[in-house]
Amino acid sequence: MIEFIDIHKRFGEKRVLEGVSITVEAGRVLYLIGTSGAGKSVLVKHLVGLLRPDSGRIVLDGQDITGLSEAAFYAVRRKCAMVFQHSTLFDSMTVLDNVALPYRKHARMKRAEANERALEKLALVGMREAAWRLPAEIGAGLQKRVAIARALTLDPQFVIFDEPTTGLDPLAAKHVDDLIRSLRNDTGVTAIVVSHDIRSIFTVADRIAMIYQGGIRLDGTPDDFRRSDDPVVRQFITGRPDGPMVI
Amino acid sequence: MVNDVHVAPPAPPRWYESLFIAVGAPFTAVGRELRGDVALAFAALGAIFRGAAGRRAVVQQAYAVGNRSLFFITATLGFLGLISVYQVATQIQQILPDFSMLGAAFIQLMIREFAPTITGLMIATRVGSGIAAEIGSMVVTEQVDALRMCNADPVEYLVAPRVLGSVVMVPMLSIYAVLVATLAGMALGHAVFDIPTQTFLSLRLVKGPDIVLGLVKAVSYGFWIPIVAAHAGLSATGGSAGVGWATTRAVVATSFAVVLLDFVISGASYVIFSV
Repeated sequence: MIEFIDIHKRFGEKRVLEGVSITVEAGRVLYLIGTSGAGKSVLVKHLVGLLRPDSGRIVLDGQDITGLSEAAFYAVRRKCAMVFQHSTLFDSMTVLDNVALPYRKHARMKRAEANERALEKLALVGMREAAWRLPAEIGAGLQKRVAIARALTLDPQFVIFDEPTTGLDPLAAKHVDDLIRSLRNDTGVTAIVVSHDIRSIFTVADRIAMIYQGGIRLDGTPDDFRRSDDPVVRQFITGRPDGPMVI
Repeated sequence: MVNDVHVAPPAPPRWYESLFIAVGAPFTAVGRELRGDVALAFAALGAIFRGAAGRRAVVQQAYAVGNRSLFFITATLGFLGLISVYQVATQIQQILPDFSMLGAAFIQLMIREFAPTITGLMIATRVGSGIAAEIGSMVVTEQVDALRMCNADPVEYLVAPRVLGSVVMVPMLSIYAVLVATLAGMALGHAVFDIPTQTFLSLRLVKGPDIVLGLVKAVSYGFWIPIVAAHAGLSATGGSAGVGWATTRAVVATSFAVVLLDFVISGASYVIFSV
């Protein structure tokens, strides 16, 4: 279970999160939605120690991880993986080296063994043939698949997907949605997905939380969102340009 | 109950407070920058002594700093040698037409001052900007965060190999710079002022402390240029504009660091060796 409790975060004068509290039950998929710059990515980065809250607590499986040192966070990152918005494959490494890196660094495997395991993961996402190519030589959709393979190398219990379908064609986006669903159904992974993709949100999410003006506007099931008469929620879901939402 | 507690907004600063703020702000900014540089230097040293900088990465960085700078250093120091000898020889010719000490003084000055410092400045602009741009773009595209997610310490992975490569190659480039500048100066002295090559190639003024001083400067520049540039890159925020700022900051800060180190090391040399 993941718990964010009263998280506050500001960058300089800009207050991004002002008392956000969310709980994600084990084995469920929570979609975080909201306008660009609302603080969705900022919030999820606190879970893996890439950002530290100004105040508030983060509890992962009953352990308070708020004040862990950078070194102690590596254990958290081993069981909680993250797929970044821009794939973030390392340009100077081959696809294989990118996927083998967590095996070599987290699991301390030798290069040969790490490569062998990485090839298996690449085969699972249909990318084995591209193993020796550089990230720049493959398209954005394929890069995203490699990034997902890299995140799943160590069979994490928790996975954060930061806008996993942004910039992908509909088929590639569907593939990512199916993958998130199968992770939950087959392996019991707990996932937080940051997304604007309304189609994905309503087909995959177990729960949805909307961040607006530093706080949680609505936290509920997809049906709660469909039925909501909150004008801010309605405007976001329908994508109407006119409404109360400040962009 | 209605909360009727009224908190007065803070009063605007008085004119002398504003003056202190305006004068002090650059100093606190430089202080913050220096603290970050020193912290990164310690972290990089820790990574190097732990043997965490990959051998392949160190060789790649040494190649990038050293081999790829050869043409740049040859051109810059070659012209510096030509210009310096021409200017000094012209002055000597007007006062006392005796060129017997010209080569010896030139070589001493090159070894202890110009070769390491001009090489340092060239590396600061060429390599420092590259390091800041590369690491800065990795920061803004979240590649550095991805490294941390893979249990790969960005200091071990990005900074330590660059520092090691640079510490090895900047002294080598400085030695090469002495040779290039000396050969260029010697050729011009012979062609224009008819100075015999044996007279020019005199090491009689070069003492041990001159060589130590030149090497200490080169090693210091080799260490601090990648540290200062990497710190600028790691501090990048935003998008491509942030990378641009980081690169500019790196060039200014690394060049300033070279000049400052030159002053400090030369001053210490006068105190310790009296030379």
